[in-house]
Amino acid sequence: MIIKKLLIANRGEIVSRIIRTCRDLGIGSVAVYSEADRNSAFLKQADETYFIGPANPIKSYLNIDVLIEAGKKSGADAVHPGYGFLSENASFAEAVTSAGMTWVGPSAKVLKAVESKCYCRNIAEKVGVPVNPGTLDPVKGFDEIAEFARKHGYPIFLKLDRGGGGKGIEMIEDDHRIKEVFERISRIGHIAFNSSDCYIEKMLSRPRHIEVQFIGDRDGHYVCLGERECSIQRRHQKIIEESPSPVVTEGERQMIFDYTLRLASAMGYHGAGTMEFLRSEHGVYYFMEVNARLQVEHPVTELITGIDIVKNQLLIASGAQLAFTQEQVQRRGHVIEARVYAEDPLSFHPSPGIIRALRIPLDLDHIRIDHALAENETVPPFYDPLLAKTVAWGWTRPEAVNRLCLALQRFNIEGLKTTIPTNFFILKSRDFAEGHFNTGFVKEMFGDIR
Amino acid sequence: MEASINAHMPGLVARVVVAEGTRITVGQEVAVINCMKNELSVLSQYNGVVKKILVKEWDEMQVDHPMIIVEVN
Repeated sequence: MIIKKLLIANRGEIVSRIIRTCRDLGIGSVAVYSEADRNSAFLKQADETYFIGPANPIKSYLNIDVLIEAGKKSGADAVHPGYGFLSENASFAEAVTSAGMTWVGPSAKVLKAVESKCYCRNIAEKVGVPVNPGTLDPVKGFDEIAEFARKHGYPIFLKLDRGGGGKGIEMIEDDHRIKEVFERISRIGHIAFNSSDCYIEKMLSRPRHIEVQFIGDRDGHYVCLGERECSIQRRHQKIIEESPSPVVTEGERQMIFDYTLRLASAMGYHGAGTMEFLRSEHGVYYFMEVNARLQVEHPVTELITGIDIVKNQLLIASGAQLAFTQEQVQRRGHVIEARVYAEDPLSFHPSPGIIRALRIPLDLDHIRIDHALAENETVPPFYDPLLAKTVAWGWTRPEAVNRLCLALQRFNIEGLKTTIPTNFFILKSRDFAEGHFNTGFVKEMFGDIR
Repeated sequence: MEASINAHMPGLVARVVVAEGTRITVGQEVAVINCMKNELSVLSQYNGVVKKILVKEWDEMQVDHPMIIVEVN
């Protein structure tokens, strides 16, 4: 291993997660913190910690200059960006490399390119992977949107070319709203993503979100580590993820693995990543986008394959070749993950605060809980509401679901509202148990939420 | 009479959508707070005119932090 000391440019549970692998590999760990995280539990596991500024993420976790400065001061020789924040930011990747440190992730060039969803749609078209019907390039004005709708019918989605994190997706149901939606989404794009470009996608009826985790080295060897079913979402953000998907057949699996390999090699991608697909109710798969980073739900794949994805990210960043082949990847049993958010369990309204009492069921078999929680810990209002990920393994889906329910039952967080009851409610529902669901599941169960 | 519209949630000011001198009514959105990456509207409880705006984009809000002073009708 070339990396000796790793700076983790993130906060919360993912910092703890990455440090665990650092310890396995004998790599030193450097954590950074904002004013709001001065006493946060994730710092206690790091070998060194550096203060990077005010609570406002623009001035701390999204501030490239102070992060590079912390890297230099600490003598870190590599940077892991985690997920969210600057994890898919080409300028950050470039700054890390220019400062003489190793970037743990795909190259800045790849990041720059795949940031554009239209670029990805064009690549897919070129290598024969179906994309959701719509435009391959940004639309020029609302006339083009109206014309598309006349030809293909409503509802349609207008999506920002550089949107992300569930932001920059708007549905249009009739001609009257085109102008209003087009102007609003362009404004959001301009402010939040520095680009007002948007494109059209036809809305699929009752789709499922299926994604493929893959990893590739600099020499162009790729392996797929299996699919994850992530259809249980609210506000286009995932709540429950599992592998294998209850609907993906072996034939479909081989097909989406093939799509993934074609896309990744056409992009010149190295490192870990995820290709996201929508599966229509008729079993047709459409490529949606690539997540060019470690994903929140990566533990699902780690539990089912026994492969440490973070470890492999670090090895590949160090220039090593993949240490295993596709044939050596064994997927065993069933894994399901429930995300615990600091939110009202019914309205999904945010609920920051102080954790007054805490019980984490770490003594259960086949349960993994990724978190950075502690009693009297403040959950600040400035960042993502994710508190913990509860992941269960079983030989069968019902076994994994039962174990997950037991873990959630024994999970106790007092002082703020959490989505533990929401998870329970979903996992115990008949439709979920039978595998009958699509991306509209949460909306159907809990009503329209913002 | 003067009254203040206060933050109902902690977080960061995402934007103020009225200007000093704007006439506002009960229930109107006057500002937006970003709490845990969620945008939440701050609504006026008063009919009146915006007299002074006390906050700007990215300011940190605690619950009950005054945001806007209103000259109430």
